[in-house]
Amino acid sequence: MKQKKRASAAICLLGTALTVGFLSGCGAEQNNGKTRIEIVQYKPEAVKAFEALEEKFNATHDDIELVIDSPNDAMTILKTRFIREDYPDIIGIGGDVNYSNFLDSDMLMDISDYPGLENIKESYLKTAKELEFVPEEGVYAAPYMANAAGVLYNKEIFDEHGWTIPTTLDEFYQLCEEIQAAGIQPLYFGYKDTWTCLAPWNAICVDLAPSDICSQVNAGNAKFSDAYRSVAEVTKSLLPYAQPDPYAYSYNDACTAFARGESAMYVIGSYAVPQIKSVNPDIQIDSFVFPASNNPEENILNSGNDLQWSVMAECENKEAAYEVLDFLYEDENIQTYLDDQNAVPCKKGDFELPSMLDGMKSYIEEGKIADYQDHHYPSEMSVDAMIQTYLMDDSENALDTFLDKFDTEWVRYNRDLIEKVQKYYEEHPEKQTEGGEES
Amino acid sequence: MNKEDVKTGKTNWPVTILLILGCVTIFFPLYMAVIIAFKQPSEMTNDIAGALSLPEKWSLYNFQEAMRVTDFWNSFGNSLLITLVTVVLAIIIHGLAGYAIGRSMKNSKFYNFTYLYIVSGMFVPFAILMMPLVKQTAQLGIANRFGVIVLYTVFYMPLNLMLYKGYLTNIPIALEEAARVDGASTWKTYWSIVFPIMKPMHATVAVLTAMSTWNDVMTPLVIMSGTGKNTLPLAQLNFQTQFGTNYNLAFASYLLALIPILLFYIVCQKQILNGVVNGAVK
Amino acid sequence: MKTSRGAQERKRTFLMITIPVLVLFFCFNTLPLIKGFIYSFTNFKGYGSYEWVGLRNYVDLFQDSRVGKSYLFTFKYALVGTIITNVISLVLALGLNSKIKGKSVLRGIYFIPNVLGGLVIGYIFSFIFTYVLPVLGQKMGIEALSSSMLSSTGKAWIAIVIVGCWQAIAMNTIIYISGLQTVPEDVYEAGSIDGVTGWKQFKYLTFPLIIPFFGINMVLCMKNFLMVFDQIMALTKGGPSQSTESISYLIYQNGMSGGQFGFQSANAFVFFVVIVAVSVLQMTATNKKEEQL
Repeated sequence: MKQKKRASAAICLLGTALTVGFLSGCGAEQNNGKTRIEIVQYKPEAVKAFEALEEKFNATHDDIELVIDSPNDAMTILKTRFIREDYPDIIGIGGDVNYSNFLDSDMLMDISDYPGLENIKESYLKTAKELEFVPEEGVYAAPYMANAAGVLYNKEIFDEHGWTIPTTLDEFYQLCEEIQAAGIQPLYFGYKDTWTCLAPWNAICVDLAPSDICSQVNAGNAKFSDAYRSVAEVTKSLLPYAQPDPYAYSYNDACTAFARGESAMYVIGSYAVPQIKSVNPDIQIDSFVFPASNNPEENILNSGNDLQWSVMAECENKEAAYEVLDFLYEDENIQTYLDDQNAVPCKKGDFELPSMLDGMKSYIEEGKIADYQDHHYPSEMSVDAMIQTYLMDDSENALDTFLDKFDTEWVRYNRDLIEKVQKYYEEHPEKQTEGGEES
Repeated sequence: MNKEDVKTGKTNWPVTILLILGCVTIFFPLYMAVIIAFKQPSEMTNDIAGALSLPEKWSLYNFQEAMRVTDFWNSFGNSLLITLVTVVLAIIIHGLAGYAIGRSMKNSKFYNFTYLYIVSGMFVPFAILMMPLVKQTAQLGIANRFGVIVLYTVFYMPLNLMLYKGYLTNIPIALEEAARVDGASTWKTYWSIVFPIMKPMHATVAVLTAMSTWNDVMTPLVIMSGTGKNTLPLAQLNFQTQFGTNYNLAFASYLLALIPILLFYIVCQKQILNGVVNGAVK
Repeated sequence: MKTSRGAQERKRTFLMITIPVLVLFFCFNTLPLIKGFIYSFTNFKGYGSYEWVGLRNYVDLFQDSRVGKSYLFTFKYALVGTIITNVISLVLALGLNSKIKGKSVLRGIYFIPNVLGGLVIGYIFSFIFTYVLPVLGQKMGIEALSSSMLSSTGKAWIAIVIVGCWQAIAMNTIIYISGLQTVPEDVYEAGSIDGVTGWKQFKYLTFPLIIPFFGINMVLCMKNFLMVFDQIMALTKGGPSQSTESISYLIYQNGMSGGQFGFQSANAFVFFVVIVAVSVLQMTATNKKEEQL
């Protein structure tokens, strides 16, 4: 008797492990005859908008059940789910290096037959295309929303002093001097959070460095130390106009300071606006494109795909997935998202843009945009921390140290990729010239 | 202690005062947490007077909001469930293992090896186990609360085994032998004699296991992510998103997570401290 | 007859308990460890396909300046942290074990930091280091404190040591107190007759008797400090200028969030070996000391 009890205790322990598992593992896919489409999107701040959309979809569709997840730290969650081979049907992620990696790992479906692609602006589709490590056949991402980065400014302070928007780098420096002379802090940085170092960096890169520099380096045709020299110089030249010791303050602190009018400008993306408004709902914000070049023609808006949809290769119901995409791209549903977030829609058409993007509107309309360069940097290389190190480095050869390091580290972190790219171009020499011309 | 006090009768006042002053280092950070949790974002200033001052009014708004955003009661329930089940399993499984291994180590190479093998698990960094465990729990279909509990049972096994084994060496074996002479099986002897004797050690194990389980973020983060179930610390990550950190809500939520374990500590303070002391002596 | 049957039954019971436990432990500790070790020979990103790369990850590991820096930082942090924690805990334990008023309340208070989660404590301290200390430093005219410690490559690690110690001291103090309680009162009485008091009393009477507790504290403390993660995550995220990247942080950051799972598995495995080696060294050292005395 006793022995049995003991044995059953042991079996229970391992047994329950399995049974509980099977119970919770199965029984998901088919739900009262409806096809289930699961979306995981990576912007937790947009959870409210997506909850509303999810509800609306399910109320109007009888045959499809839509589930939209907006988890925090979605990248870690997606990666752990991929390890588990537990794939959602559609993922909504940013157009960054994660997308390139997922695509490179053959995890995404070719959606070139999706009719809705016609309505998406060319420039954003091109942005997504440029994220491919090696040119792929087909389309793997449907851009949904874009964001823009540049300089946010406090409209009240500007109006009060009658300052005008600079269009060249010299004008920008001059403006900073004027603001300083008026006893106001021109800029505020939250460099304690290293990723914020990338905000000015990206905005300057689009003006001063070729947009496909990373692909060029991978193909062995260029070096960062040439392309990034002026970018690095300009980034550092902003420091005298910022608060002392910017490395002590986080993104949150910088948003708070700007919201309170402690600085007149803030070099960051449109995504910061909700955070700023949470501190000071009445603040009037407008924006302008960072003028990193002294030739106004060369200044381009830094805008990338903030949210784009990809159908996973494992998705079984392509038709249903397309139906969901159609729903998401309906004009009024896009407007639901826009009202909640400060974004730029990638769909063609007339949408009401948030007023703080007024200063960037003409660039958006003309399509004078270029993607964030950090969307091409592997996250484990921690370019943000490297920039922070460079900014803090007071020694004379700081610039050269940084640029050399950039080149050597790039090769170290992208070794497999570079090999792949160069092999690809050896096999397809005609593609390389194409790529070269584009820049 | 009372005995010495009575004997010498003198209180060491300088040391008492120094120790009381030292408490400031403990309370100051907690004070900061409380006032930030009660303030509104607009009251947060980047200077010292503003940072240290009491909130303008003591509103529970932040707490309500934090409870709503973190889905407090659900996360709290999950944390409680995971912690309780882990503690119970730890006491049952680790106690039994400590008994079986501890009593057999003297003249068995196998048990000696087993003991060292399990205890050395203490030195395995979680980072190396993380990714394979994610895969493994998913394959077994236990990427859920149950899986997290199983993992905790394994992670805390080395320390708890060491504690139980240490405690047992001080318990004379004679009692068990007497029971055996009376015809009781080993299984019965354990539950009727050894288990009750180890009560102080159960308290220690319960306390240490509960504290680690309650405060752990990483395991539920990687194992339960995407299942729609949160633990309290996991829910707090809601406030650490890159583009929307809100100190006040976050601190309110931290306090909400701290309060249960703090209450537990205040209520069972004596048992907890004794428990830890017990663990150390063995 | 009866005893031998009893002994048989006892043996069987013990085996019936031990084997499932061993299986459980193997499945969820050793097996993933082995899998991690296997991944360390691949360029696995964590998903998708991967290739075998032989010993490349290990070769890279010893040439990678970032990994080297993280080892230097972690060991500096662990050494300083362990020493400070043990000194303060010992002093606190002596104080809390002496004839004071409100002993149990004070003990209760000094244990609080250990109850609280490391991440939350880190966030609270981060606030203090950023806003409270610098202003205090400016008012008191202390140059070193007048800017945030967290933003200086030279001082950020000290801030992390402070927070790490703040939490670790609680546990170590209690362990020392329990050690001090094992010292019989007549040892002191005998000592005071011989005129041994104060520092001498501590050095020659008290300390040798609590050496085993010193040993436990050193090993546990060192191990926990070497695995530091929560504090880094909450305070500096490895910055400024990557000066506070601990080994665990780097493994998580680049292995889990980044795409270096294979490489970081190699790092984690080497780290595991290092921790075991350090702990074994410490244990043999304290055992020797114990024997000498």
